[in-house]
Amino acid sequence: MNARPRSVAMQAAAVVFAVLFAGSCSSGRNVPVIGVSLMNCSSEFIVMINKAMEQRADELGVKLLVKDAERSPEKQVQHVENFIAQQVDAIILNPCEVEASAPAVDKALAAGIPIVNVNSETKTAPTAFVGSRDEESARIAMEYIAQRLGGKGQILMMQGYLGQAAQIKRDAGAREVLAKHPGLHLLAEQTAEWDRAKAVALMENWIEAHGDRIDAVFAQNDEMAMGALLALERAKKKDKIIVVGVDAIADALEAVGQSRLDATVFQDAEEQGRRAVDVALKILRKQPCDKETYIPFRLVTKENVAQYAK
Amino acid sequence: MPCPVEPDTPRRLVFPAAARRLLQRFGIVIALVVVGAVLAAATPKFLTATNLVNVARQVSINGILAVGVTFVLLTGGVDLSLGSVVALAGVVAASFAHPDEYPIVFAVLMGIATGTACGATNGLVVTRGGVAPFIVTLGMMTAARGLALVVSGGKPVSNMSPDLTQLAGDILGLPIPVLILAAVSVASWLFLANTRLGRHIYAVGGNENAARAAGIDVRRIKLFAYTVCGALTGLAGVVLAARITTGQPNAGVAYELDAIAAVVIGGTSLSGGVGGIGGTLLGVLLMGVINNGLDLLNVSSYYQQIVKGVIIVGAVWLDRRQRRQ
Repeated sequence: MNARPRSVAMQAAAVVFAVLFAGSCSSGRNVPVIGVSLMNCSSEFIVMINKAMEQRADELGVKLLVKDAERSPEKQVQHVENFIAQQVDAIILNPCEVEASAPAVDKALAAGIPIVNVNSETKTAPTAFVGSRDEESARIAMEYIAQRLGGKGQILMMQGYLGQAAQIKRDAGAREVLAKHPGLHLLAEQTAEWDRAKAVALMENWIEAHGDRIDAVFAQNDEMAMGALLALERAKKKDKIIVVGVDAIADALEAVGQSRLDATVFQDAEEQGRRAVDVALKILRKQPCDKETYIPFRLVTKENVAQYAK
Repeated sequence: MPCPVEPDTPRRLVFPAAARRLLQRFGIVIALVVVGAVLAAATPKFLTATNLVNVARQVSINGILAVGVTFVLLTGGVDLSLGSVVALAGVVAASFAHPDEYPIVFAVLMGIATGTACGATNGLVVTRGGVAPFIVTLGMMTAARGLALVVSGGKPVSNMSPDLTQLAGDILGLPIPVLILAAVSVASWLFLANTRLGRHIYAVGGNENAARAAGIDVRRIKLFAYTVCGALTGLAGVVLAARITTGQPNAGVAYELDAIAAVVIGGTSLSGGVGGIGGTLLGVLLMGVINNGLDLLNVSSYYQQIVKGVIIVGAVWLDRRQRRQ
């Protein structure tokens, strides 16, 4: 009797090994295998891309090997090296960093494996790119603020992690709009590192420093917009100040629906994920496809929030 | 008419000793005063009641963490898992923060219990397993972050009950997180100064072998220190979740560094045995004042980081020089 559970355990172990083994060398068989290296699976947005990819892969009968780089470009390069060794049919890369993740693309191309970048770019051009233009998101947000303020007012900008591609581009997009409206004045800009708690503290300090002069706050992501919103609500100043974020995360959509947050900008994670798998499969099948696929951003306000809320 | 004079009591008072210790921390006090004076001169917005309350509110989470990790640092250990455990405890508390299912106290207790369990695990592996604290808590840092992601499904746990978010609100104009920090500090301070267990913590950190020879159960003391640290980390996680009204699995990244930096700025030795809560609070305050002041002054983010780095090292240097004299 004693031996039985043990033999069951061994059988289970054998099955697990068989599955792992099958997973690691099933390339070239009837099912196409795509290796996926994601920037960071603790980000809600990346998780959404991942889920859409898995769903699309299921629909198309493709097998995905998904790895989480935990924000480390070095891990990302290792993932691609392992994918090459596993002889996957294609790779989808969600790059951590513009330059540091570029060697991952180089290696895949050198090994003759098609590689599709999703969401962010690398210095080396991949076989194809699927994503959105970050500048556009900030442009849409700032245009909304400009329109609400009638082209005149004092604006605060909360920046993302300084030096990251998304921060640099969202900065550039916002400034483009500011340059077009001489009546809009940037009162202050400061990083809250994409972080809600840091944004609360920064907003409290800004309320103290700029008080009643603030007309609008543009946060380069929704996490920070939610933080700014909390601080403004606690200080009972929200009704006079417009707050806009980017990304349309669940919390932000809910806040827009409740008329707390004025607007956010929707970046279509699901469409990015689905199209990345589509493009990779087209390349595999040697079908024609665009080298660059841009998914447009959309402004979300109280009027249209219902169609985005899940 | 002469006032009735109390006879001289032999009762030991903690205050003079604490005041003396505060004076020994003169370096850090000077740094705090100088930074405060510069900021007050630079902007009229710094020395206002609302802003000072803001500073207190903003340091409260780092403060609770720093008080907790002071216990561990005093024994000569270290805890790198603070930030991840903050996230885990916050996520757990947020998951239970639905008053129709559980009383809200339960959510708070679950958060604290989560932290306590992580701390106790750290302590057990350090003392029973004999693995270096740096490694054990580094492992916990990774594992707790993973667990936070599992519990939350990689997404913020939102729709938290307003009852819990009130934990970040005010009572009589004072932010509750600040009151919590004050209560935690006073309790820890009295504990370390007045109890046998507290003195044993210093003894273990000062000289572990001597402490063992004196009959102190070193393993028990260390386990206790890590557990207290874990409990306070859990509490900080609950307060953070209340402040940002969600349980964020990716919250608290690198919080351990801010907390440990504050403790060391406050004069607690990284090798253990020396220091205390008073210094830790001064360190926490110095870091908070710098953060707040640079924001008020609109100092560019790039320069903020440089200024912070220089002030932190400068304060410790000043403090050490002062004490050598």
